[in-house]
Amino acid sequence: MVEQNGPAPLVEVEGMVKSFGENAVLRDVSLALRRSDVMAVVGGNGAGKSTLMKILSGIYTPDKGSIRIEGREVSLHTPSAAHAMGVYLVPQEPLLFPNMTVEENLSLGLDESRADVRRRAVALIKRLDWPLSMSRQANSLSIAEQQLVEILRGLLRSAKVLILDEPTSSLTFAEIQSLFKLIKELRAEGVGIFYITHRLDEVFEIATHVAILRDGRVTLEGPVGDFTRELLLQGLLPSESRKGSAAARTKTLHRNAPDAKPALVLDRVSGYGFRDISLSVYPGEVLGIAGVVGAGRTELAEAVFGIGKLVGGRVLLEGADITGCGVRGSIRKGLNYIPEDRRRNGLFGAASVRANMTSAVLDTLGRVFLPVFRERKLTSKYIEEFSINTTGQEQSLGALSGGNQQKVIISRILATNPKVLILDEPTRGIDAGARGDVYRIIDALKAEGLAVLLVSSDMEEILALSDRVVTMYNGTINREFGPGEIALDGLMAASFGVC
Amino acid sequence: MLPSFRMKREFNALLFAVLLFVGIGSVNPVFLTVRNIALTLQGSVMYIFLAAGMTFVILTGDIDVSVGAVLGMSAAVAATLVRDGYPLWAVVGGALLVGGGTGLLNGVGVTFLRIPAIVMTLGTMGILRGAMFIYTDGKWVENLPDFFKQACQICVYGINLFVLAAVVVVFLMQLYLTTARRGKYFAAVGDNLDGAVLVGVPVVRIRIAAFVVSGLCSALAGLVYTSQIGFVGNVAGNGTEMTAIAACVIGGVSLAGGTGSVAGALFGAVIMNTINSALVFLKVPAYWNNTISGLLLLTMVLADSLLHRYLEEKARRKRLNARFARAAERRACDDARA
Amino acid sequence: MHVLKRYLLRWESVLVLLLIAEIAIFGRINPRFLNTRVLLYSVNDFVCVSIISLFMAFVVITGGIDISGGSIIGLTSVVVGVLWKQAGLDIVSASFAGLATGALCGAFNGFLVAFAGVQAMVVTLGGMMFFSGLALVLVGVSGVSAFEGISGFPDGFMEIAGGDLWGVPNPVLIFAALFAVACVLLHCTNYGRRVFLVGINPNAARYSGLGVRSVVMSTYVLSGLAASIAGIVLTSYLGGARSDLGAELTLPIVTAVVLGGVSITGGRGTVVGVAIAGVVVGLLRFGLQMAGVSSQYITVGTGMLLVVSAAVRGLAFRVSLLPRRSGGGDNIKGGGARRG
Repeated sequence: MVEQNGPAPLVEVEGMVKSFGENAVLRDVSLALRRSDVMAVVGGNGAGKSTLMKILSGIYTPDKGSIRIEGREVSLHTPSAAHAMGVYLVPQEPLLFPNMTVEENLSLGLDESRADVRRRAVALIKRLDWPLSMSRQANSLSIAEQQLVEILRGLLRSAKVLILDEPTSSLTFAEIQSLFKLIKELRAEGVGIFYITHRLDEVFEIATHVAILRDGRVTLEGPVGDFTRELLLQGLLPSESRKGSAAARTKTLHRNAPDAKPALVLDRVSGYGFRDISLSVYPGEVLGIAGVVGAGRTELAEAVFGIGKLVGGRVLLEGADITGCGVRGSIRKGLNYIPEDRRRNGLFGAASVRANMTSAVLDTLGRVFLPVFRERKLTSKYIEEFSINTTGQEQSLGALSGGNQQKVIISRILATNPKVLILDEPTRGIDAGARGDVYRIIDALKAEGLAVLLVSSDMEEILALSDRVVTMYNGTINREFGPGEIALDGLMAASFGVC
Repeated sequence: MLPSFRMKREFNALLFAVLLFVGIGSVNPVFLTVRNIALTLQGSVMYIFLAAGMTFVILTGDIDVSVGAVLGMSAAVAATLVRDGYPLWAVVGGALLVGGGTGLLNGVGVTFLRIPAIVMTLGTMGILRGAMFIYTDGKWVENLPDFFKQACQICVYGINLFVLAAVVVVFLMQLYLTTARRGKYFAAVGDNLDGAVLVGVPVVRIRIAAFVVSGLCSALAGLVYTSQIGFVGNVAGNGTEMTAIAACVIGGVSLAGGTGSVAGALFGAVIMNTINSALVFLKVPAYWNNTISGLLLLTMVLADSLLHRYLEEKARRKRLNARFARAAERRACDDARA
Repeated sequence: MHVLKRYLLRWESVLVLLLIAEIAIFGRINPRFLNTRVLLYSVNDFVCVSIISLFMAFVVITGGIDISGGSIIGLTSVVVGVLWKQAGLDIVSASFAGLATGALCGAFNGFLVAFAGVQAMVVTLGGMMFFSGLALVLVGVSGVSAFEGISGFPDGFMEIAGGDLWGVPNPVLIFAALFAVACVLLHCTNYGRRVFLVGINPNAARYSGLGVRSVVMSTYVLSGLAASIAGIVLTSYLGGARSDLGAELTLPIVTAVVLGGVSITGGRGTVVGVAIAGVVVGLLRFGLQMAGVSSQYITVGTGMLLVVSAAVRGLAFRVSLLPRRSGGGDNIKGGGARRG
């Protein structure tokens, strides 16, 4: 695969395999980055881009595969080892020291004297023509400036390979232009750059090469000039076989009665990260909200549920205004939400399956004393109904597989008898079998007349489950798809901002 | 290279201290005599050492409630040694050994055994308090040689030796923490642990070092205590750990870690100690002392926490709203191009 | 929570064995120790620590800590004494005022921790200074000698600690009653379940609509109330109200909680464990006295017990059959405990 003419590539990755538990994130990835290349790495959620980059920067170790830097095989066990090899990762969320100055952030961890570091840093900043003051405190910097400082850290460590993980996700337009200017300068110096993004516009603007990751594999790779936008989107779409299986699922489409009233109405809802969202969901239907990370969907969902503030607009549940009701109010009135980050916001890992299932309905099952009997009944009912694989009600939730954990959380939410349900990435990180089970559960809920709002970055999932779809991009709804109009390529394009 | 006062907090603490002096002086001018100010400063030296050492630990995000017990034990050891005629270097060495050893024990327990700092240092506090009693057989250590007892009255160019020593030590610490390469590591560990790991800071070693410094400083405080008081009673050091923590907080050292300086802790220590004597001069009964100190601490901490939360939320919102600015600018750019 | 219970029951079995060993060893050294009457009456000494640790466990399970218990004892004592002696209130009302004091102190702590988001360690540290300060102020302002305290309480009051029912000293009965209350509250009510869930994952608790902040605050109120009960018992036992009662009790209380199997990082623990641990800690003190050992070894012993039990529990948890806890947020924690 490596051409013998010219110098060895800066970085070469071959046969990379990495799994987390039963979740295979990278199945077989091989890439090469040469000097002065800017390789855009594109892929949906869970495609494996971040994992690959974390392996390259010493944060994870691969299960299989090799890494070669300038022709020599290396093993990168720690970030320091990666730094020593000239690889530096600029994380998506800058990891600066908030209470230190820019200068201190830059020089910390470097071996040279502060004066030397300062001199080099100042020279760099001048050359790049950035308005960055060395004495400002890191927590007073805008995200763009923080990212610049992170990049400077990499440059000061004489990074030969710079990995930028979604660098523009929090930048304004002008800041993005500054960044691109810098990237061009770095290229001129021979630095190789991995540029992770899902903004296809940027791929064509700044990258020299592009690689598309899908399901842990590289589906498309080569110089940017060889591709068009449509071809890239093709690479993001599922392979034929999967496409077939998704279509094979017979979806019970929902037909609205002519005078049906919507179960949930969002009326020009605005908050932090989303603006002017208006939509309606009817009983018995699934409304999909598609988009990529950073579109604002989870912020919207959580704010509607009662976590996080709504700055404007109204939320109407079966006609009643529940804006600002808070979590308890929402649950009581019939709106519930399955959190996107299951581990952080959904699981009581050390508690039993039973305790997890009843956590939201304790008060309705019994007044003061633990309604153990009714708890047990409820838990058995759901364990059976959803085929939850567990050794018993008392098993600790942390011991269950991802799919079964998700089923428990779904049970918990359903136990509150919601009329409207918001699902956020419901099948992330769970195996195919459990995924099928979840889809069946959703179908059954539809049949019972529940209204479902489905937030997902998995386009196939949206396609397979939704009756209607809206896509969000940069915090607003940019396209709506009616019952007959949902198609994978349209969804994909809109999610990536191509309308 | 001078420690800069860009941090508002230290400045506020210094201002508060000055205002405190002036305020009390205006009610009772006797307070502002040179002699009295000198006395107040001398009384603060012990707390200055305690708070300075504690700052290292708090900067790294931990806490150390054993400092009072270390003070007591090292005071007992030092007093016993000096009473029994050992040379000065042995006396000081013995005290420092107690402090450093305890610090090492604390550090190891917190890092390797993963015992939460509050639990670990509470435990060593208990052990040392009891050990001190056993060591002194429950009796006071008295009859200390004169030279030792008078050491606290030596003046260098008119400034009390101990006060001078405290200021110098704190100055050197401040210099180290703000300018030395490894000095920054302490605040880094408390400020952003993941970030510190990412840039290669030896986190475990730094945390242990912080506890050792705290122990050594407490030992120094014990030596000062012994010389100033002239004997070591049974409850030497009891309760001083709380005063030390309060001094740090008042001096701008955030208990969340990452922020603060020993200079601020010094001012905080002076403030805490001054409140004691101030009450006498203000003709306020001494029994108000704890209440005032407690209220002061709670107010500072509450203000600090609320400010912190407000700033964090503001930053988060700014970040989330960057999306719209981006979209708007892009539209503007496209329009301009069209 | 069956698997949890099974594991913890193993820890409690260890504690029971420890208790039996203690009794055996001390009984060997001084046979008087084995006298039931002597044992029962020894409870007076450490019932205060046990009572407070029963409810401090609630606080720690939610991920916090409360070191102001000792000061609340002193404050309660003084409030009862001053109200009765100086203000002329009848002893029953004065006692209730004392209880209210404890609850208010707890509410004060709890509000700052839960609603203002200040770290528990610092809040209760400041609270400790503040409450002990209030006790001193009360004593000073009312003209009572701090050294002598207030004494001469009526017989009815003295019966609280001094009397007995069918041969069992009242403090033991009080402890038993509170043990039952704590047990039922923590393990058999919705409230108790919420306390655990908040400790295991405050974020998930929020998403389940569990009212995290009020749960957290209520645990401090309980802890404060327990401290004031202990304060009244102690005042009755000593026959005098003093502002420095309970001053040195922070260490034994934390030891009893940690030794009892409550994880400092929250989410795990049982009342039974804490109760047994309280007895273990208390008997240690009493047994050492009976063995003629200087009482200062007790502090050393308690300190070592705390450190060792924390280390052992930490190690045991890491190699235990329990899977890794997921979640377990960092929102409301004692300062310095965040790396636990």
